[in-house]
Formats: sequence, structure tokens, C-alpha cells
Amino acid sequence: MTAPIIDIQDLSFTYRGADRPALQAVEYLHKRGEFTAVMGATGVGKSTLCRCLNGLIPSFIKGKLTGNISLFGEAIDSRHVYKTARRIGLVFQDFEAQLFSTDVQLEVAFGLENFAVDRQEMPQRVTSALKRVGLSGFEDRDPSTLSGGEKQRLAIASVLVSRPTVLVMDEPTTDLDPIGKRDIFDLACELRQEIDGIILVEHETEHVLTADRLVIMSEGTILREGPPADLLSDPHFLEKYGIRPLQTAVLLERLRVPAQSLVVSDAVESIRTAGWQASLDAATKLTDSDQEISRDTPVIEVQELVHRYQDGRAAVDGVSLRVDRGEFVAVVGQNGCGKTTLVKHFNGLHHPTEGEVSILEKPSLDWTLSELGRKVGYVFQNPDHQIFANSIREEIAFGPANFGLSPAEVSHKVEEAMEVVGLSNRGDDDPFSLTKGERQQLAVASVLATDPEILILDEPTTGLDYQGQRTILDLIEGLNTSGRTIIMITHSMWVVAEYASRCIMMSGGKVIADSPVRECFQNGELLESIMLEAPEAVRLGQAFGLSVRSIDELVNCLEKAE
Amino acid sequence: MFLYLPHETPFHRLHPSTKIVGLALLLVMTVAFVSPWQQLPILLFVLSMAWYSKSLRNLRRIMPLVITIMVFSCVTWSLFKRIGDPFWVLGPLSLSRESIEYGLAMGFRLDAMLLSGMIFVSCTKVEEFAYGLRALGLPFPVSFAMSLAFRLVPLFFTRIGIIVQAQQSRGLDIHSGNIFQRVRKYVPLLVPIFVYAIRDTDLLSMALESKGFGMQGRRTEFLSFRFKIVDVTVLSVLVTANVLAWVL
Repeated sequence: MTAPIIDIQDLSFTYRGADRPALQAVEYLHKRGEFTAVMGATGVGKSTLCRCLNGLIPSFIKGKLTGNISLFGEAIDSRHVYKTARRIGLVFQDFEAQLFSTDVQLEVAFGLENFAVDRQEMPQRVTSALKRVGLSGFEDRDPSTLSGGEKQRLAIASVLVSRPTVLVMDEPTTDLDPIGKRDIFDLACELRQEIDGIILVEHETEHVLTADRLVIMSEGTILREGPPADLLSDPHFLEKYGIRPLQTAVLLERLRVPAQSLVVSDAVESIRTAGWQASLDAATKLTDSDQEISRDTPVIEVQELVHRYQDGRAAVDGVSLRVDRGEFVAVVGQNGCGKTTLVKHFNGLHHPTEGEVSILEKPSLDWTLSELGRKVGYVFQNPDHQIFANSIREEIAFGPANFGLSPAEVSHKVEEAMEVVGLSNRGDDDPFSLTKGERQQLAVASVLATDPEILILDEPTTGLDYQGQRTILDLIEGLNTSGRTIIMITHSMWVVAEYASRCIMMSGGKVIADSPVRECFQNGELLESIMLEAPEAVRLGQAFGLSVRSIDELVNCLEKAE
Repeated sequence: MFLYLPHETPFHRLHPSTKIVGLALLLVMTVAFVSPWQQLPILLFVLSMAWYSKSLRNLRRIMPLVITIMVFSCVTWSLFKRIGDPFWVLGPLSLSRESIEYGLAMGFRLDAMLLSGMIFVSCTKVEEFAYGLRALGLPFPVSFAMSLAFRLVPLFFTRIGIIVQAQQSRGLDIHSGNIFQRVRKYVPLLVPIFVYAIRDTDLLSMALESKGFGMQGRRTEFLSFRFKIVDVTVLSVLVTANVLAWVL
């Protein structure tokens, strides 16, 4: 029996000024060499726990802390972050905010300098930390020129270099594309051979299977812990606590096939053995269920669009496409592939350098920004980039009032928008008191109030937990059903599969694929080349030769052989 | 610094402290001279240094500013400065040989200052600048804060750009209305900007603390520069030139 590395006893913490504790009587033991994943809805105390572990709480963030954390049987010194920080390294979710150097080597060396590591030793340690995370050869690069996944791996290297005993990562994959996510998990698995413990907070279940242990948190306490395969095999339990169930587990449960393993290929094997196969009319069922889009009412037409930055680089490089009324289009691709720049042409925030964009059959340059703003609503990625008012009502009224609606019309639109997004009766609340998910709903409402025909959303689900994601996506779907055209940028592939009708894939400023969602995940190599991966449900369907978009569809298309 | 150009020139390899002191000496020297015929050689010298340090690419980027300064300085000083014997007068405006020379000298001086600053940032990383300041005796937290500012300012402007676009999409028009109306229009921009500034600062401080920033006692440096013969030479030449310039 190995001694625990981390031993948390009866740990509670209340932020200064908060009326409820963020952590409540947490008990946790971490064994040597273990890789633990922590999951739970937003606000259950996952980040608070991470910050207690490396001493940021209580020395940097004030509040009331009780209970004990010991490291190798020794209580940690909570007076100085740096003493604990050296032994327990912490990587944050926001890789933009934690990198500050102008070259990769110096970024990694920063910790070593603070911990007064001998200068002779530094270059070799920096090199090996970079090698460890797969960034050899990037030594002289400016961190701001790296991709999201590379930045996050750099952030990890900058902590690993100090040789911590335990590496804690607080949602390191939230802003990453599917392959970037997978790389972080692969790295975590490899690292467990080298350092004593890894704790990783994560929102999505898909990769968590590779961890040794899963901890589910709810309302400041650890609700359950155990091997991931055990906890993940119960979809209802996960859903109840705000976590998106593993789709393989959902399928096994729906088909009443006992779960031997939750790995896609093994699960498919068990399902086949249990006698399930694709039904004969499956393909027809699927195509019949697809939404019919009439191809005669273009709302957006793009001809040979090129958009250059001031330095001459083309962000969008020769894109032609057309979007018809009522479509639900997903735009996907790596960070910096030009997707945001492209869609900003649709509401006049950007003007073409070359080529032409026409909106509702009128060239975009002929529209004034405010006319176009009314027709084409744009919900920015982060609701906090636009929230400023003292009340929800005032916030939503901002748009319609700017566009010159009469006070009576404005107030009518505001009530209507609050109703649609589910914030009725809360008109007088302070927007800053809302949760992240509610703030996103508010951002949608404030755009909706101007009654746009086309709605553009830039990663509307980032930073939301499963419940929050579902709420906002169902809301968007409803808007689409009621006739609005939706254009949504996202890096969440299951969202594309379940909600969009068409998917545009971009790389290097060009459109490399543009197809109905049912077809877009069929070319695995193409997906891999732009760091994407088909979502679990789609991969399960592919194993049965079906191009399904969700588990519901797959269950519908399978039948049990007699 | 965002204008940094990664080249391998003797300029890049100078000790950062030499670069900082050298820049200061050069700036002081430009102030010593008043005649354009003394300023011009300095400007030409600075230009040749820009070529030698391979920073001409940045020169092109700031060219509009360089030209504006030159033109503006020539025109305004020549017309408004009352020195010498004016050969043309119109109300407050006048022209004399001396005032034209003065305008030229000022233009050369300001451009020489601007260009030497540009060469400095083209050849010095923010971290090297901070290292140089520390080597000159500035405490670590102060030099670090200065270097951080260089890094955060561009990020902050990017953020402001996004916020402006987000509110423009909701129909905010900051360019119309009288001064009072316009001030009020900045509220929807300022609130999110402050929220972000506070949030980013908070996150960054946590990331810094987590990497041992604020630890008491000794600290080591990854960068290392030794004071070499070339540094001594550069500084002695500049000191001598300064002494000569001010004495003569």
C-alpha cells in the first residue's frame, strides 16, 4: 500500500463576502502515480479546490479556510504561495492570460528564475520541458504566434520545468479543438510515469476514460469517486449533476447491452454480439429526417472574398459561398483559420479587401452599419465583452433603442426577448449577478430584441457546463425553427452534429469542405488535418455503416436480428 | 517588444545596459546641437546604424511618422520662431534664414531621437530591456512591471477592439452627437473594458504567484550577458562624443 501524496481532510472554504461556502468538508486522498480527473457543473468548487491545493487560497485569495491539506504527510505552508507552488504546479484554463513572455524559452525559464535554480542548469531543463510537451524547435518563437493547443502545452511546460510533485490543471482543454484536447490527455497519461500525481479538471467526458480515477463534485463537495469506467457507465447520474454523459454509455443503456467497456470499438463489439445491426430502411429513415432547405432565397452570397490584414497577410483567402434562408450553418476550423474574420463580413464589421459580399441581395458596402446590424445580429464569443447596464431590461433595450425604435416598441421587444431566452420576470436583476450561462442567454436576448433575420454566434457554448450548453443550443434551435438563419462558429463537434444542418470547414483562410452535416464527418483524414475529430455518436454510427448525427438517430436505425 | 526583429547583429548582442545607457547618451547628445548642419550627421549616423542593425523594416513602418515630424517641425518652427532677421512677415508669421535652420534642426533632432528609439526596440527583447534595467540597479519588481506593461498594452488594445465591435453590432455609434452625448456613449465600452482589465490582471497575478513570483531572497536569471570590450568601446565613444559636443 503506497502512502498518499495529497491528503485532504475536512476542507471547507468560503470566499470573502460570499454567503455560501465554495467548498464543504472535502475529503480526498491522492495516491502516487495517479491521474485523477475532476468533473462537475459550473460553480461546484472545482477551481476553488485547485487553488487551495497550490496555496493561492488562502494566501492570495482571501476567505475562511478550515480543514487540512497535507503533502507527503506534511501540512502545507499556506502563508506563501511560492513554497507550495513549487511542489504543486497549477495550469490555468485561460492560456492567453497566463503567458506573458516574448519568447518560448523565457516563458518556460520564468519559474526557474524565481525558484533560484542555478543558471548553468536552466537551458537543459528548459529544453527537456519543451521536449516533454512536444514543443522542441519552438524555443525562439513568440508565444502569441502559437496555436491554442501549443499555447496550452507551453503553459504546461512552464510549470513542469520546476519539477512539481503534483501537476494540477484547471480545465486546460476548454478552449481547444478536439485534437488539441486529445493531445493534452495523452500528455497527462505519459506524465503519470514521471511525476507523482496529476489532477485535471475537465468538462467533457470523452477523454476522461483514460484517467485512473474520476471525482465528481457537486455543491462544494465530492459526490462520488472511483474508476472512470464505473462512474461514466451511468448516464442518468452524470446528467443529473450537469455533466454530458458519455455517448457510448448512453447507447449501451438505450439498447440494454451490459457495459463491458466504454471504448467505442469494444462497445460496438458488444452491441453486435448482442445481435444488433443496422436496419434495412435505416439510410432512408435518416435522409427523410433531414430538414428541407429551399435553394431559392439566398440571404448571404460571397464571391471570391479576400480579406487582408494591414501587414498583407490574407485572413480570408478566396472564399465563395451562399447561405439560404432558414439554414443552420456551423463554421469550424482551428484558431486563426479565418472563420471569425469571414463571418464579420456578414454584418459589416469587416469590409472585403477583394471580392464581394451581398446580404439579403444587396452588396454589403451599400448597407449602413446600423441597417445591417438590425438585419444581421452578432452574438460575440464572450458575453462579458458587451454587458454594461444596471439591469437586464436596460441591457436588452440598448440595441433596439440604438436602432431608433419607439419607446413602446423597444419595451415590447425587450419583454419578447426575455421571454424567448427564459429570463422573464428578471428584468430588474443586475446582469453581473447572473451565471455565465445566463449572461450568454442575455447576450442572445439583447441581439434578438432587434429582430434580426440572420443570427451569427461566435462559440456560444464556450465556458458553459452541459446544462448551460443545452439551454443556449435549444434556444438557438428554436430561433432557427421559427425561420431565422443561423451561422454559428464552434469547436465542439457534437454541437455541429446534433444542431447544425450544414458544416463549413476552414483552414488557412480557405473553405476546404462545405457539406450537409451528415456528410461532413465522413472524411477522417481531412478532419485530422484541421485538428478535428468526428464526435463519439458519429463514430459509433460509422461502425455500423450509418451516418447518424446523434444517439437518438442511431437507436432508431438499429434493430435486433431474430 | 512588438517591434523586435530577431536578427544576429553585433547590435543585438550588446549588453542590454549598454544599449540603454547608449540610447540615453545619444539622446542627450542631440540636445547639445542647435544647427541643422550638426544635427544632420547625427541623423545620418543613426540611419546607418538602422541599416547596420537590420532594423530598416521597422523604419518603413514608422516612415509616415518620421516624415510628418520633419514636415511639421520645418513648417511650424520656421513660421512661428522669431529669430534672426526676418525677410518675410505676415501678422504672427515670419520667415528668416535662422528660423528655417532652426526648424530643420528640430526636425532632424526629433527624427534622430525617434529612430534611435526604434533601433533600440528592434534589437532588444522586452526581457533583455528588463535585464538591462536590473543590471543598472533597478529592483526586480520594478523592471518586471515595466516589461509586463510593454506586453500587456497591445493585448489590451486588441481587447478594446473586440468590445468596440461588439457594441457597434448592437447599433452603438460613437461618432455622432455633441460632446455630452458622446461621453455617455462611452459607458457601454468602459464597463466591459474595466471588467476585463480587472479580470485579466487577477488571472495573471495568480499565474505569476503560481510560478514562484514574489518569492523572497535570491533569484537567478536565464538570460546572461557579459560586459565585453565592445560594450566598453561603444560607451567610451559615446561619452567622449557627448563631452566634446557639450564643451565645444
